[in-house]
Amino acid sequence: MKQLIQIIEDDISVRKLLEISFKEYNFSYISCENRRVAMTMFLSHQPDLIVLDLGLPDGDGKEFIKSIRELSLVPIIVLTARDDESEIVASLDAGADDYMTKPFFVNELLARIRANLRRHSDKEALKEVYEVGELKLDISSRDVILKGELLKLTPIEYDLLKYFIINSNKTLTHKQILEEVWGIGYQNEMQYLRTYVNTLRKKIEINSTRPKLIKSVSGIGYRFSID
Amino acid sequence: MKLLFSKYKEHKYIVNIFGLLIFITLISHLFRNHLDVINITLLHIIPVIIVAINGKLRSTLLIAFICVILLNFLHIPPLYSFSVHNDYHILSFIFFGVIGGIITYQAKNLDSQKKQNEIRESLLNIISHDLKTPLSTIQGSVNLMLSNSNLDEKSKYSLLEDINYSSQRMKRLITNILDSTRLSNKNIDIKHQWCDFEDILGVALDEFSQMQNDEKLIIKIDELSLFWGDNTLLTQLFINLLDNAFKYSKKGTKIYFEITNYKKHVKIKIFNENEIIDKEKLRSIFDKFYRAEDSNDILGSGIGLSICKSIVKLHNGKIEAIAKNNGISIEVDLPIIKKVRI
Repeated sequence: MKQLIQIIEDDISVRKLLEISFKEYNFSYISCENRRVAMTMFLSHQPDLIVLDLGLPDGDGKEFIKSIRELSLVPIIVLTARDDESEIVASLDAGADDYMTKPFFVNELLARIRANLRRHSDKEALKEVYEVGELKLDISSRDVILKGELLKLTPIEYDLLKYFIINSNKTLTHKQILEEVWGIGYQNEMQYLRTYVNTLRKKIEINSTRPKLIKSVSGIGYRFSID
Repeated sequence: MKLLFSKYKEHKYIVNIFGLLIFITLISHLFRNHLDVINITLLHIIPVIIVAINGKLRSTLLIAFICVILLNFLHIPPLYSFSVHNDYHILSFIFFGVIGGIITYQAKNLDSQKKQNEIRESLLNIISHDLKTPLSTIQGSVNLMLSNSNLDEKSKYSLLEDINYSSQRMKRLITNILDSTRLSNKNIDIKHQWCDFEDILGVALDEFSQMQNDEKLIIKIDELSLFWGDNTLLTQLFINLLDNAFKYSKKGTKIYFEITNYKKHVKIKIFNENEIIDKEKLRSIFDKFYRAEDSNDILGSGIGLSICKSIVKLHNGKIEAIAKNNGISIEVDLPIIKKVRI
């Protein structure tokens, strides 16, 4: 069955672009241009994923994310023309799964949609073993294996890697990671995160200056990317 | 000779003023019996005003002084002496200086406004050129594809690549223009946080195509500790430094990027081979809208390096361009103001 994507976007040309691409790549879609209609549509159609523009004519997209999150865990990808990092961080912290800034490439958006759909369906059954290329993480034994060899990680490095892998292809804010891995009260201790990401990269990336797995999202956070 | 002539042209107004002074002295002297002292004084202020309009304080004060002397010697009793027996006259002499000063100041203001207008105009010219060039590529390619439905896949693909490349260029330029206005706003406060230079370099490199990097770039990074600075601005600094090096380096040559740790500062060095640029020009390389000569075929607004300078300044560091070994090395020193404790 085709998966259903809900588009909430008030700009006609962007909406048209999204509709054409979704049709081309075999998704069904429903679209609207404001919050009020979007909520009704969401309740009646139960879409598999939402693509949401932040600046809507009848109110802020962040509020909409919050009200959706009270009802459902459906993946939400935010589209925004605002370059303001704090705005993006706020919507991710409000519960959005990912974001793209305009202008954007359609194939990148489609890749993110697929990744989020996949991760969402995986979530129902939390896996025991995660495999990313030549990297293998075993939840029950806490073993991390790279190219067939056991990798020595400190407990925090392990927790960080595990959190990244479970949330792969999702943009995680610095605050979210610090809260999840180090605990509440650590959300502003950026130096821990920077240092541990740096050492973790040296252990799992082929070239730590050009990381392929742990990607930095400037001013926002990190994303563990799997093709 | 040419130099002398141009010097003369520049100071021509002074020569004219002396002519005018002689004329005024003659007139006042001939009609001294018909004119009151106040009229003669007013006549003598004319040269002061004319000089002041040129906006040079020293010439203004010189002419004001000469006028006062002439006035005093020839027209203020006791005549043919420098003594003054009425305090009002001293006051009017001071007015000469004050009037000259005020007019000079205003003239200077007008001049700097004119210069600002010139800068604004050159900004508009550069931007319109640099935005229009990629835009015309996009327009042309799209038009061709719309009007010609039987293009083969290969040419279609290359047209699309052109469109892609041009739009990326436009995006980068727009970001730079926005940054430059943001940074020239003096009240900008930088958001300090712990930064990892290796991480920043990775993000910056993502802005460029993979092929471009791997062939050209040689990276050497020290074991670095975290740096206390503005992550977004430092990323922009790296992007602009790399962009500049990629743009101006010769084909088939390498670019060296180095980050070295010192006790009190971090040094970032980027070297690319290039035509030797003389010292005078190296100094102006960080000025807004400066572009190397004969670089008209290279897209760029001359904003990039000036943004680098602003960013480095905001971090209290220094940036300089040094010519060496058939190329240019741009070196940035950023002072370490806080050490990380974990």
